[in-house]
Amino acid sequence: MNQRVLVWDVPTRVFHWLFALSFAACWYVSESDLWLSFHTFFGYLMLGLIAFRLVWGFMGGHYTRFSEFLYSPLAGLRYLRQALSGSGARYIGHNPAGSQAVYLLLALGLVVGLTGMFAQGGEEQHGAVAGWLAVSTGIIFKEAHGYLAIVMLLVVIGHLAGVAMESWLHKENLPRSMVTGFKEAAQGSAVSKPHYGVGVALLAAAIAFGIWWFFYAWHEPVAKHLGYGGAQPGLHVAFVGPKLPDNAKWRDECGGCHLAFHPNLLPARSWQKLMDGQNKHFGTDLALDDATKAAVLAFLLNNAAEHSDREAAYKINRSIKASEAPLRITETPYWVKKHAEISDAIWRSPKVKTKSNCGACHEDAEAGTFEDAAMKIPK
Amino acid sequence: MFRYSSAFVWLGVAAMGLTTLPAFAQTPNEVLATLKTAAAGEPNFQEFSAARGEQFFKVKHGKEWSCTSCHTDNPAAQGKHADTGKAIQPIAPSANAERFTDMAKVEKWFKRNCNDVLGRACTPQEKGDVLSYLLTVKK
Ligand code: HEC
Ligand code: HEC
Ligand code: HEC
Repeated sequence: MNQRVLVWDVPTRVFHWLFALSFAACWYVSESDLWLSFHTFFGYLMLGLIAFRLVWGFMGGHYTRFSEFLYSPLAGLRYLRQALSGSGARYIGHNPAGSQAVYLLLALGLVVGLTGMFAQGGEEQHGAVAGWLAVSTGIIFKEAHGYLAIVMLLVVIGHLAGVAMESWLHKENLPRSMVTGFKEAAQGSAVSKPHYGVGVALLAAAIAFGIWWFFYAWHEPVAKHLGYGGAQPGLHVAFVGPKLPDNAKWRDECGGCHLAFHPNLLPARSWQKLMDGQNKHFGTDLALDDATKAAVLAFLLNNAAEHSDREAAYKINRSIKASEAPLRITETPYWVKKHAEISDAIWRSPKVKTKSNCGACHEDAEAGTFEDAAMKIPK
Repeated sequence: MFRYSSAFVWLGVAAMGLTTLPAFAQTPNEVLATLKTAAAGEPNFQEFSAARGEQFFKVKHGKEWSCTSCHTDNPAAQGKHADTGKAIQPIAPSANAERFTDMAKVEKWFKRNCNDVLGRACTPQEKGDVLSYLLTVKK
């Protein structure tokens, strides 16, 4: 006689579907700079979920404990062979092959999440580990992040294929039991406790994190989009991050005729040359007195590209030959390369007018951050 | 939800506005008086004239630009830098309370802008005429 047995407790089901959702959401927006903070939200969520699952593997319901599905990879392969030949035994909990997928997905989710965190902390100087790594190290982590995510996708596909195969082989709907938690099992089989409280707490924690993130990263762009709280409407998900060094005198003296170009956009030798020639500044005499000139120059030199941990600063600086000291940001090879695809019609449009009008396309130009996510070409 | 939070922001802004009323170093009339003291010492001094100031402001002086190239025909309107396209807040004190409240700033911009428009510094007479004109411009 068979009976309905609770196999997957509530926390494990909540974990499973949130984990799947996080993975899918991360993939869905992975190519979009504009949605970067959406991507990172689900990345952090995934890390939190994995942390929970690792603990739950020791404390959870009967079938969710690691001790219940400790199979070697070899045993997994053996089971896979049997299953493919149609003779695999039916397991109530994870079978030996499925267990490999569980371990692999947890491990990969962990390293994909961590490499993503370090990529962002190094390259963009954002997130939980902002400032821990140099931009150049961050770039290496980003490469690794991309490759590992592809490996994880392959494992996910393998997992889905395995679920389909098992469902067919044993004529039972495995996805449904991950929703209801129940399976048919022989009388006397072990039963998991539902653990409602923990499940609800896990779900509530994920939702609370989402609400917090909303106010952290999305409130402002959404408010702008709906028409209040900001001058420029637009529904990009802005990136929030550390403010760059600022200086009132510099803003005052250098922000009158054009955007106050942040010092991190040129190397120190360029600023030195520019300020030495301040009486012939692109055809204008800036007529700065010596004290003002010295104060502004000090701020420019101290925060020049080579002293900044911004991605743009790093890449601009790296692109300039050591023997050269360009006076224009718009003449540095990195800037030229990044803007090569913009058509003449856009440069000439009245809203842009000149290449140095960074603010026309970069919403965060005043702040000097030039986030990937804050960029849009005016229509 | 947003509406409430922006309401709080506005309340905060209003409270701050009440407690810290802007303290400008000088008034435009004091700046005008300073210019007058300087101009009165010059040989061919004439009483400042808004009409002459308007004329000076609106015509070209042998170079590519006039003052209106950046400040527009209407000094009470927002201008735009002829080279860079950057917005310039109105130059008339009636439309922008920060204008002509800091003698050093006024002199700095006269120096730059006159150089760009006339290829030389403006005389105290010319500066006084311009400010007299700008003071007559209504919002
Ligand atoms: C009186 C007006 C004026 C002031 C004040 C001014 N600039 Fe400029 N600046 C210009 C003009 C005009 C250009 C050329 C803009 C163009 O070609 O689009 C320019 C261009 C630049 C550029 C090159 C932008 C590019 O194409 O990449 C830099 C850098 C720059 N300025 C820095 C400064 C700094 C630093 C200060 C403060 C010490 C300053 N500027 C103050 C008028 C000014
Ligand atoms: C006409 C619109 C426009 C203007 C004006 C403009 N940019 Fe950009 N910028 C773009 C676009 C579009 C990209 C994205 C290019 C890409 O991702 O390949 C970009 C990319 C960048 C990046 C690289 C961001 C990253 O991390 O990938 C930097 C840095 C940057 N711009 C700086 C500037 C600065 C500094 C100025 C002013 C001197 C400026 N831009 C003016 C449109 C503009
Ligand atoms: C190339 C563009 C340009 C031209 C031409 C120009 N200005 Fe300006 N002017 C500016 C900018 C930019 C500022 C500073 C804006 C700011 O502080 O927001 C300014 C500021 C000023 C100020 C400072 C006012 C204050 O107290 O803040 C005065 C005075 C002034 N201009 C007068 C003139 C006169 C007179 C002419 C013609 C001789 C002229 N300008 C032509 C761009 C220009």
